[in-house]
Amino acid sequence: MAAVDLSTLPQQLVTGLLIGAIYALVALGYTMVYGVLKLINFAHGEVFMLGAYVTLFISWSLGYTPGNVLAGGSWGALALMFVGSMVACGLIGALIERLAYRPMRSQPRISSLITAIGVSLLLQYGGQIFLLDGRPQNVDPKVSPAQGNFSIPLKPANSQLLAAAKALEANMAATKDAYEKAAEGKDKFNLPDDVKKLRSTSQDAERSYNDAVGKAENSSVSIILPKGQVIMLGTTLLLMAGLTYLVLYTKRGRAMRAVSQDFDAASLMGISVNSIVTFTFILGSSLAGAGAMMAATFQSGTKIDTFFGVLPGLKAFVAAVFGGIGNIPGAVLGGLLMGISENLVVWAGYPGYKDAIAFVILIAVLMFRPGGLLGSNKVEKV
Amino acid sequence: MKFWGVRIASILVAILLSFGLEKLGRGTDSFTQQLIVFAGLYVTLAVSLNLINGITGQFSIGHAAFYQVGAYSSAYLGIKFYPQFHGNLFVWLTLMALVGAAMAAVAGLIVGLPSLRLKGDYLAIVTLGFGEIVRIVIQNQKALGESGGLNVAPHTTEQPIMFVALLAVLCIAVCRNLLKTAHGLPFLAVREDEVASSAMGVNVTATKVIAFALGSAFAGAAGAIYANSLGFINPDLFNSTLSISVLSMVVLGGTGSITGSALAAMILFYIPEKMRDLKDVRLALIIGGLLAVGLAVSAIRYVIFNVHKSAAIRAAMHVGIIIGSVVIAEIVAFALGKIPALAGTVEGAKLRLVVSAVVLIVLMLVRPQGVFAHHEFSWSWVQKLMGKKAPSTEVAA
Amino acid sequence: MPKFSIRCGLAALALSVVIAGCDSKPAETPTEGGKPAAEGGKPATTGARPVPTAEPIKIEGDTIKVGLVASLTGDQKPWGDDSQAGAKMAIDEINAAGGINGKQVELLVQDSASTPAGAKTAAEKLLSSGVVEILGEVSSGNTIQIANSAFEKGVPVVDIGGTKTDLTDIGANIFRVCYSDAFQGPVMAQFAYDELGLRNVALMTDNKAPYSQGLSAAFKAQFEKLGGKIVDEEKYDTGQTQFGGQLNEMKTKNPDGIFMSGYFPEVGPIAQQARQAGIKAKFMGGDGWDSPTLLNSGGDAIIGGYLCNHYNNKEDRAEVKAFLAKWTKTHGGKEPGTTMAALGYDAAAVGLEAIKMAKSADTKGIIEALDAIENFPGVSGKITLKGGNGTPIKQALVVEVRPLAEGFQVFKKAYTPEMIK
Repeated sequence: MAAVDLSTLPQQLVTGLLIGAIYALVALGYTMVYGVLKLINFAHGEVFMLGAYVTLFISWSLGYTPGNVLAGGSWGALALMFVGSMVACGLIGALIERLAYRPMRSQPRISSLITAIGVSLLLQYGGQIFLLDGRPQNVDPKVSPAQGNFSIPLKPANSQLLAAAKALEANMAATKDAYEKAAEGKDKFNLPDDVKKLRSTSQDAERSYNDAVGKAENSSVSIILPKGQVIMLGTTLLLMAGLTYLVLYTKRGRAMRAVSQDFDAASLMGISVNSIVTFTFILGSSLAGAGAMMAATFQSGTKIDTFFGVLPGLKAFVAAVFGGIGNIPGAVLGGLLMGISENLVVWAGYPGYKDAIAFVILIAVLMFRPGGLLGSNKVEKV
Repeated sequence: MKFWGVRIASILVAILLSFGLEKLGRGTDSFTQQLIVFAGLYVTLAVSLNLINGITGQFSIGHAAFYQVGAYSSAYLGIKFYPQFHGNLFVWLTLMALVGAAMAAVAGLIVGLPSLRLKGDYLAIVTLGFGEIVRIVIQNQKALGESGGLNVAPHTTEQPIMFVALLAVLCIAVCRNLLKTAHGLPFLAVREDEVASSAMGVNVTATKVIAFALGSAFAGAAGAIYANSLGFINPDLFNSTLSISVLSMVVLGGTGSITGSALAAMILFYIPEKMRDLKDVRLALIIGGLLAVGLAVSAIRYVIFNVHKSAAIRAAMHVGIIIGSVVIAEIVAFALGKIPALAGTVEGAKLRLVVSAVVLIVLMLVRPQGVFAHHEFSWSWVQKLMGKKAPSTEVAA
Repeated sequence: MPKFSIRCGLAALALSVVIAGCDSKPAETPTEGGKPAAEGGKPATTGARPVPTAEPIKIEGDTIKVGLVASLTGDQKPWGDDSQAGAKMAIDEINAAGGINGKQVELLVQDSASTPAGAKTAAEKLLSSGVVEILGEVSSGNTIQIANSAFEKGVPVVDIGGTKTDLTDIGANIFRVCYSDAFQGPVMAQFAYDELGLRNVALMTDNKAPYSQGLSAAFKAQFEKLGGKIVDEEKYDTGQTQFGGQLNEMKTKNPDGIFMSGYFPEVGPIAQQARQAGIKAKFMGGDGWDSPTLLNSGGDAIIGGYLCNHYNNKEDRAEVKAFLAKWTKTHGGKEPGTTMAALGYDAAAVGLEAIKMAKSADTKGIIEALDAIENFPGVSGKITLKGGNGTPIKQALVVEVRPLAEGFQVFKKAYTPEMIK
């Protein structure tokens, strides 16, 4: 177990917050569908996965194919991928609802759950056949013009260390110069002994310099925020605000709330329940699409294959329950907290248990506060 | 007297049949023998899950965890103690099965506790979560081989067909006897209505806990044999996909029907294994097939809900729909095959789980109560077929 | 209720078993063989490997059945496809020239799905079809399972790309055509210390892959022997995509080099995220990096990294040129993407040569013939299995990762066992 290093804590918290933004977006979809239909949409993770694929295909059609070196990113490309992913996912979600869930409404909830599991499996394994053989793909990171990081310094570097590093810089430059002059034109890995000596001197000098720089850097505490991921967090908050406005202040939102409170009474009141349910699915799925696009583009190393949505889907569902199922700010809060706790587990030195923490949280929440953080705490009485 | 006679006779018949199966199995190659063993293990898994889900009504989808606990107990003890063991392999396997069952029962008790407060969807997710927690915890234990897995001693190269058959028979027998006697009534009562049964004096808590413990014990015993049969286990073998496969077996057979679970387990296990050998399938045929399935399902649903003729006419319509959809699938495949982008083929092996998923969805849309619903194979059913009257001392499941 | 008390009793029994059985010594991961400690570049010479005791299987019928386990689906599909194509090419050549002793060679292929359990099932299936030799696999974790299954039946295994050092100690019937990590690790350690001048290296190990664990250990031993320091050891699991947690910790230790001993699907993202986290260290790794997809997932970050490989397409040897000519003809002018193509070809060629030279037409004879292979002209170098306990003594090439346009893997330095200090 690696020793717990307090100085990295702020960075880990921030990294966790950024990961949590994705969970928050996907959790919103789960929470809305559950609120309206009391159904756990197991296939939501797969809608997320399909959104990532749509993002990938759009980026390819714009020219960012693997091996192709395009000049730079463009905001236009990002916008197109964003909107495209949201629209596609909305449509897919509506389709799933219409074909697989609506016929199940009269059946007991278990049957709907099993249907959801079936749809989820179908998309995962069917996708293996139709989507590029299931080989993992990456979105070219150069699509995003927001490269680089914001750096927030919390504690400045120790000035003595900085000065020590600066002092070594001159020596390093000098020895490097001497070596490169002597090694000109020779095979760098089969040098004669005297040039080798010059090289080791140069390497030693470089190492001392880098060491000193590193020490200086480590004495400072700063938080690195990749620019892309900051955009991710900002967009999530914006979307959440928009969604809250929609649900609380518009007629359609009122209809959604009515349906989630009492399905039959709402239909008796003249609300077209079917269209509200479809609308909810479209909303939730397009949010997942937004999350997928941002995860695929801004989080480097994201590997897109047909199982891409399984674990995030499950964790997002736990986040929704954590925050209070049916509760929109709760879903976002749950998602962010989920991301943070996951990263804290890695920080504490147990990277292998990273995925288990989600389920531990779930079980703890359901045992002790079934309504979730922001939900009502009434235990279901008969 | 008649009671004991029948019981002893049926035990002897079971042992004889298992022995016969083993002799039959020895005649085939080692891979087929392993498949027979796996089939028996899946039957045990499905029937034990049915005890929890179908008979007691507790929706548990983390069954792979108990399987894993049993497997790892057997593996760990085998590595530590088998070299010093100088007895019969059969005795060792029995010991391992017992230990696996005990460990899994403890796990089942732990998992069963939240079920006391939760219902339906929540319980499902919690059990799934427990399954994942068990898998991840085991995956991080150095003593259990971490992610790399364990090579199990002893590796039963002579596959334990008879043992597994007996285990499956034992599981079915216990569940059936539970169901058909007064001991089983509390389980059914809890499934139907907890409050009413509690009002009638049923100890709901104890019933639920026993269901979980019993179901998981059998899964653990099966797991112990699985480890020895396979020779190598790692945490990836026991992921949520396995839990969901076993769940689909129970659902296909009919939650609450032991016969259904057993038969569905064998079918749903055999088809994917056979598909391993499948050569290439035309991509166009897959698309055509999916379309045809969709059309057939809508048509069948229409017939089920809206057509009110006699059963025979409806059955004939169903058959007609199925034949019609096969024809449509071929026509569409032919047409689509002309398009160059869709003219390729796909390896048959990739379709295995797609078929399982489609089976699940179609089943839920067309016959959600499963093929066998609540019915069982029993002597009275056979007698009914033969025309005799059914005895009236049946406990309707 | 009596049943309840029985259950309680059993639970108590179980608990007592658990408490009694929990002692502090962890069980070692067993393999059916000894554990050697290899030194430097020399293969393990700790004496006898366990000899299979099963009855030798005779070559019967009008064809010679040879099995191949390949990762045709899953993470290692690029390697599996290449190994299959390479092996097929070798076998087709021999069949076209008349087969072995008049009999044609029949190749049976099973997919391992890139997992050890899948490899085991595949091997079992092949063994029950009556193969007299198994070729495969491309990664050590899978080959270990094949070796275990084959040992029980006494069938020889020719490993294609599994480099874990103690792989060949599972049984006297296990051979390979590639070098082992007992050589590869020290080569990279030597390169890092001598050529790159690194003194503080961090290890990034894939805790789920036996290959990665073995390679990291071999690197660490040699690097510390030379006088370097391992400043940090971080672990991850195959399939992970976010490494922020581990990299944040690594950064505080200030390494000047990171040795990533894992496979290419993870190495790319690790490199990218390391640069993003502000780590300026040099990247090094083993043959697990070898795939063009590394450039996709690694982007700019992986350019300039160094890896150790088996051979290089630009080498000036006759075997390489002949192999490339044959390959490009059947693959539309493209060169093989990974070294597994050449290694698969070599494995099949060596395996069939042994069948030809076998004194008795059964598995025992094939094993003895494999043990006598000397100076076989393989595409990946001269292969001598005689006296090597299953592992050939070959050279290793250190190459630099450059963009595709520059040739992807650019040769830098060759190492032979004598160069390891």
